[in-house]
Amino acid sequence: MATATQRIEPRPVRRVLIERRRYRWTELRLLFLPAFFMLLGLLELQVVQSTEAGATTTTLPPLDAYVPAFGLIAALVLTHLALNIIAPDADQVLLPIAGTLATIGVLMSLRLGPAVDNTALGVKQLVWVVLGLGLCIATVRFTRNLDWLRNYKYTWAIAGVALVAITLVNGIVFKHSFTTSGPSRDVLYISFLGFAFQPSELLKILLVVFFAGYLSENRAVLALDGYRFGPLNLPPFKHLGPLLTVLGVALLVIVGVRELGLAILIFGLALSMLYAASDRPMYVVTSLILFAVGALALYTLFPYARDRVSIVGNAFDPGTASDKGYQIVQGLIAFASGGVFGSGLGLGHPTFVPAATTDYIASAFGEEFGFAGILALIGLFLLLIYRGMHVAANARDDFNKLMAIGLTAVFALQTLVILAGNLKIMPLTGVPLPFVAYGGSSVIANFIIIGLLLRVSQADG
Amino acid sequence: MLPDVNSIGPFGFLFILRIALVVLLYLVILQVVAVARRDLRRAAAAPAGAPRSGTVVGHLVVIDSGSTPLVPGSRLALDPLTTIGREPTSTIVLDSNFVSGQNTRIYFKDKSLWVEDLGGKNGTVVNGQRIQAPIAITPNSEVQVGDVRFKVTP
Repeated sequence: MATATQRIEPRPVRRVLIERRRYRWTELRLLFLPAFFMLLGLLELQVVQSTEAGATTTTLPPLDAYVPAFGLIAALVLTHLALNIIAPDADQVLLPIAGTLATIGVLMSLRLGPAVDNTALGVKQLVWVVLGLGLCIATVRFTRNLDWLRNYKYTWAIAGVALVAITLVNGIVFKHSFTTSGPSRDVLYISFLGFAFQPSELLKILLVVFFAGYLSENRAVLALDGYRFGPLNLPPFKHLGPLLTVLGVALLVIVGVRELGLAILIFGLALSMLYAASDRPMYVVTSLILFAVGALALYTLFPYARDRVSIVGNAFDPGTASDKGYQIVQGLIAFASGGVFGSGLGLGHPTFVPAATTDYIASAFGEEFGFAGILALIGLFLLLIYRGMHVAANARDDFNKLMAIGLTAVFALQTLVILAGNLKIMPLTGVPLPFVAYGGSSVIANFIIIGLLLRVSQADG
Repeated sequence: MLPDVNSIGPFGFLFILRIALVVLLYLVILQVVAVARRDLRRAAAAPAGAPRSGTVVGHLVVIDSGSTPLVPGSRLALDPLTTIGREPTSTIVLDSNFVSGQNTRIYFKDKSLWVEDLGGKNGTVVNGQRIQAPIAITPNSEVQVGDVRFKVTP
């Protein structure tokens, strides 16, 4: 915040140098290693390819094979330069961490593309990352003042729910079976652009904005006692009305398109933000009771949800392991076969697992980079979440704070839900691993979230 | 120049590469943690080290003196930590029945001024809104303590 107070205040010279140095050197320095990682990873892929082709001589990989690597590095550096101009005081660690994760994503797509008969997969993912970085910059640029986001909070919430509702209507119109086994993907095809995206990815962000706007205005009331019910202290439902309505409608629509993972995500999101805003454990208790009721209802309603739950217990049973539990068992085998340091990028067989590029990207990564690699990946996610909370702690008002908490919770919950699903700790749901899993909507939405976090961390509006 | 794949043997070279990749990931983590640690240290050192008491970090200009004998238009200096209240130990003493003993605190943190309400009956109003949590103020913000209104100036 470029207050005039800065000018009149005498400080030691060194401090002034640190404060006045506007160039984002830390960010640039942190981008160096991910770039090196990308180049080295691509080199390994090329060497593996040439050894498999029988060329054991010094046939060096052709330089044009490095286009994806240089493209990604250039995009990251350009984003860094743009941030220098439009948000010089924004957090300098968020972009490097997101960039590292996106690098891993592009590298895995490049590696898995040929194995799943889609050589363009890596390039496609690269295009999504570049688009995402562009939208991240646009987000930082055009949300100069986050207040207008808050002022239109109901509009955002309705728009988000409506987008997902379109896919629900589509499903009914095209007689997409609602009672049968599998979960559907809420994909919205915009046919005249030849373009498809998942509106639910956008819904997450819009709901965070709504919750942050509503809760920041009603914080004081929510912290009060509501009704006493025996030993329980129930929240003041009257003031929670709009919030519960939006949450309820969103959950109904999501359950309508049968994205149970997303439902868990949205519910967890609302709960974290409610708790952060009110600082009352009673909300957690009440919500968990509601969650149990809802989960039980869905369990009885959807046969495939019952399958998913039972698989956690009996995946290795004969009969299950080769049928319904096939994916999860193969995934665990992939993790196990990686050992401590992994089979090496390009040297494993990650495509034995169905959906290795999306839902099971973690097992593909775990097989080729090993236990050490998976630990590093989880470490990177932890740092991303730490940084999001750091931004929240330093935010200038309640709305910014709550928004940063909500956006960070999106990353945290998604990582938790999909990794726990992959490792057979909880029922598997199709939530993408942020930045790493292949998928345009998810990568772009995640970079928009990074853009919003950067905007919150740039203190002056 | 890339090393000769043949001379080390293809799998020897690949072995080095794959270990290097995992090690690189850890180096990224190490670097980020180092930056985070530096941030935390600087934040911890800031309240003690940054603006020494006695330096003036800004001023409050009285707009409406309410029931106090202050003269509208007079400028009051802000220390890095300024307390406002009716008690004589406050940095700025406001002798008014609408002001609590310890009403408001204004302090300098993270390159800006923050206002915090200390729980008085009439609270603290910043730019027309009663504050619940510390809030950052900019020049020209309006701060109302009890029935006294100030404008923040450099």
